[in-house]
Amino acid sequence: MVVASWLGGWRRVAQASGMALGLHGLTFLLALPFAMLVRDQIAGQLGSSLAAGAVADGVNYDWWTEFTAQATGLGATFTPSIIGFASTLDAVSRVLDARYPSTALMWLLGGYLALWTFLSGGILDRYARQRRTRAHGFFSASGRLFFRLARLTALGGIVYWVLFTYVHPWLFLDLGGDLTRGLGVERTAFAWRLLFYLLFGAALLKINLVFDYARIRLVVEDRRSALGALRASLRFLWHHPLDITALYALDGAGFVLLLALWSVAAPGVYGTGLAMWLAFAAGQLYLLARLAIKLHFLASQTALFQSHLAHAAYAAAPAPVWPDSPAAELIKGA
Amino acid sequence: MRRPVLLSIVVGVVLIAAADHAGGQPQKAPPAAPLRAGVQTFDQPLPEALSPRNASYDITVQLDPVRKEIKGRETIRWRNISAATTSELQFHLYWNGWRNTDATWLREDRLRTPASPRPRDRIRRPEQAGASDVTSIKVTPAGSAASDLTAAIRYLAPDDGNTADRTVMAVTLPTAVGPGASVQIEIEWTGHIPFAAWRTGWIADYFFFGQWFPKIGVLEDAGWNTHQFHAATEFYADFGVYDVQMTVPGGYKVGATGREMRRVDNADGTTTHSYHADDVADFAWTTSPSFIEERRAFNHPRLPSVEMRLLLRPEHRGQETRQFAAAAAGLEYYGQWFGPYPYGNITIVDPAYQSESDGMEYPMLFTGRATWLSPEKVSNTPDSTIIHETGHQWWYAVVASNEFEHGWMDEGINTWATARVMEETRRPNMLAVRTFGTFIPYTLDVPLSREVSGNRMPTYRPDAESDAQTTPTFRYWPRSANAITYDKTALWMHTLERHLGWTTMQQVMAAYFDRWKFRHPRPQDFFQVVNEVSGQDLTWFFDQVGGSNTFDYAVQELQQEPAAQGRTRAVVVAQRLGEATFPVDVVTTFADGQQATEHWDGKDRRAVYTYERPARVTRVEVDPGHVLLLDVNRTNNSRTTQPRAAEAARKWSLAWMVWLQELMITSGIFG
Repeated sequence: MVVASWLGGWRRVAQASGMALGLHGLTFLLALPFAMLVRDQIAGQLGSSLAAGAVADGVNYDWWTEFTAQATGLGATFTPSIIGFASTLDAVSRVLDARYPSTALMWLLGGYLALWTFLSGGILDRYARQRRTRAHGFFSASGRLFFRLARLTALGGIVYWVLFTYVHPWLFLDLGGDLTRGLGVERTAFAWRLLFYLLFGAALLKINLVFDYARIRLVVEDRRSALGALRASLRFLWHHPLDITALYALDGAGFVLLLALWSVAAPGVYGTGLAMWLAFAAGQLYLLARLAIKLHFLASQTALFQSHLAHAAYAAAPAPVWPDSPAAELIKGA
Repeated sequence: MRRPVLLSIVVGVVLIAAADHAGGQPQKAPPAAPLRAGVQTFDQPLPEALSPRNASYDITVQLDPVRKEIKGRETIRWRNISAATTSELQFHLYWNGWRNTDATWLREDRLRTPASPRPRDRIRRPEQAGASDVTSIKVTPAGSAASDLTAAIRYLAPDDGNTADRTVMAVTLPTAVGPGASVQIEIEWTGHIPFAAWRTGWIADYFFFGQWFPKIGVLEDAGWNTHQFHAATEFYADFGVYDVQMTVPGGYKVGATGREMRRVDNADGTTTHSYHADDVADFAWTTSPSFIEERRAFNHPRLPSVEMRLLLRPEHRGQETRQFAAAAAGLEYYGQWFGPYPYGNITIVDPAYQSESDGMEYPMLFTGRATWLSPEKVSNTPDSTIIHETGHQWWYAVVASNEFEHGWMDEGINTWATARVMEETRRPNMLAVRTFGTFIPYTLDVPLSREVSGNRMPTYRPDAESDAQTTPTFRYWPRSANAITYDKTALWMHTLERHLGWTTMQQVMAAYFDRWKFRHPRPQDFFQVVNEVSGQDLTWFFDQVGGSNTFDYAVQELQQEPAAQGRTRAVVVAQRLGEATFPVDVVTTFADGQQATEHWDGKDRRAVYTYERPARVTRVEVDPGHVLLLDVNRTNNSRTTQPRAAEAARKWSLAWMVWLQELMITSGIFG
């Protein structure tokens, strides 16, 4: 059942490949204006300086430190961590080390999450139905489910906030501090940290699973109550822990494999012209793969949940249809 | 972490092998000018000695590793080498800096790290506090009977009046001690070893003892110079001869200032290690049963041989060659540039993780800084740290300036020298991004330059105006003290090097070392040597860098318009944006390859140059040779008619965009 769900997940992602492309296009369009802002900051700082030559042809850390010292807002996030695979490590490390982004970045990511919440209704609906819903069906489902999913996201926000604001410092600083303060060997301290990462990661994954299946049940069963969906999700997790964990592990393996490939292929420092565009294209391909894997998590989990129902393609809500033209009403009533 | 550390060993071997070819031929120091009055009028070396040897110590100390305690007894033979008569003696009790949370050191430390989510509470539990409790003090003036002054002990707070601070102890003498007179002081004390405090203490099975014994202050012509222990400063002491017997549990390895003379296994299972050191101003030691001991010889055709001893932590096994190579590079280059290392042996201590004793210098012994994962292309640790601490044997151990008041004279000069050795040895020096609680380094193909990274411009820049360097170091704002002490000095020393040329600069430093070795120079003593050897009056420069103003020169404008006979009239405006001044060149390049170089004294706010030439101007540069390394904004120092900012900005903004998109996708796990 797990493997079938995993394969079924890929089938659903492939059948709706336009969603991955659409989502990628969305992140692209969302990021583009901010990238232009950063571009303008860099260009403004460089002005007509000769320093631009070295910055264009490769990397000039001397200049970089100067830029960072002067940059404001999102420009301040332009650090060497953006280079190649360092970017990926930094992103994962940020989550596990509970490093909060800057205020400007927080707003931006908050906006992205709101948009994602809106779209996730349509995405899950599409994966649950396993047939084309077209744009009007997708957005109709997104709109219909948005406020329910938003309530769920808000509940999730509270849980994540508690996790990152209280549990993480307690685990890594209080408990971790007490356990590692007297250690004189770095490797041992790192081993402890790995254990804390495992514990924290397990908590994070568990919460993710609860909210993932809550979203799935909310959409598939057309539930209106976010709390009810959460309770239903917990029941599902309680009754099928092995299937759920095994599937998550399989999905996670795909993510790890992608990171391993990217660690080798990620372009480091390059010049302008073709090299720049090739590096950018490689980055976009990687991001597309990341999105596909993210969607596969949802699709395979939806498949697993539905496989436990009497009817594997069950979706409670009627398929959204485009409303009839008012003219039809007139003809019908004539 | 792209590659394992293995290649660094190869690099280290190659560096040792190539060491003979380092840095061209150093110049011998020119004959020293007649001596002038320094801090102490009588600080000339004793006959047959390198130093005045006016503060010598015989110490016996026993470590109790379970109680985290030492019991010590010392005899100080002190001679008054100042022109002043004193009726009291003053001593440092540094470990009292962690005796209570109101001690000056801890008060200042809290100012230094206010934003930490968990304030650095160094004495969470009483047993983790440090303290020096003097239980007995007896003073015996020459030719007189001993006086027990224990009951007369009092504590001074000359810097901030903090009555809770007990880092300076004083006793009034029964009879005054005049210039040239001597006294013998016997002190018994108990030291409560702090837990991993700053530069000293214990962690796990590792013990490091720095500033651990009651230490007499420095009596200058103007009186006692005995500062309290401060969070942003270091130390100051007179030279002497040390005989120290340390008793530790059997099986514990010991490293210490000086040379081991004797080792006796006692009946109670302990071992007593006896060390002797001549002409040193301090004594530090370490002990741990876990150390791996390695020895190598430093040999050089033009320098005295040095026996190098490394006490390595087991988790850093495999880094031996790299650590020895870094120390050897220091001994070689500093030896050639400044003067030979005067002691025959040196101990490198690889400190325990979290011990807080890393990167610290003592005479004939220093601690490095190593990490478990040390990519070979990243030279910050352990290479740079070891080179830096080796350099302190010249700037601190031998030329013993007052670190309380003029911290830049050792830390700053040494930071400049470290960066120069790093450059000379051509060590791969790439940027590493440290992730996952800083445990995991990821090496980027981003080279770090000596000019900016080596001299620490990135940390100087935001705090450039935080303090004037002429302010006594112990009064610096604790949070930005390092920027002024280390970074600014390295930047202006390198600026001076470029202004004078390396040959002259090397002569300056050799002369300064030769004149002030085993003495206590003040800033003006250094400035005087620079002026003498360079043949220039550079007072204006020292005045500029001694303040808190910043340097920033820029190209303000470039205007071009057609002139008669097909020529072009160009107006170049150079501007001084900072308050500090320095002479800079303004170089204008024309399309036909011709250049016009103007020497601007840099004093006015602007300098305007007008040219009428057959060719148009293609670029203007202020200080194209990057002589003024203190310039906090280099980007505005040039202007070109073929700017590439758009190209550069497009490239990097696209890379940033990928980073942002990835962050968005990663944040999707929360929604």
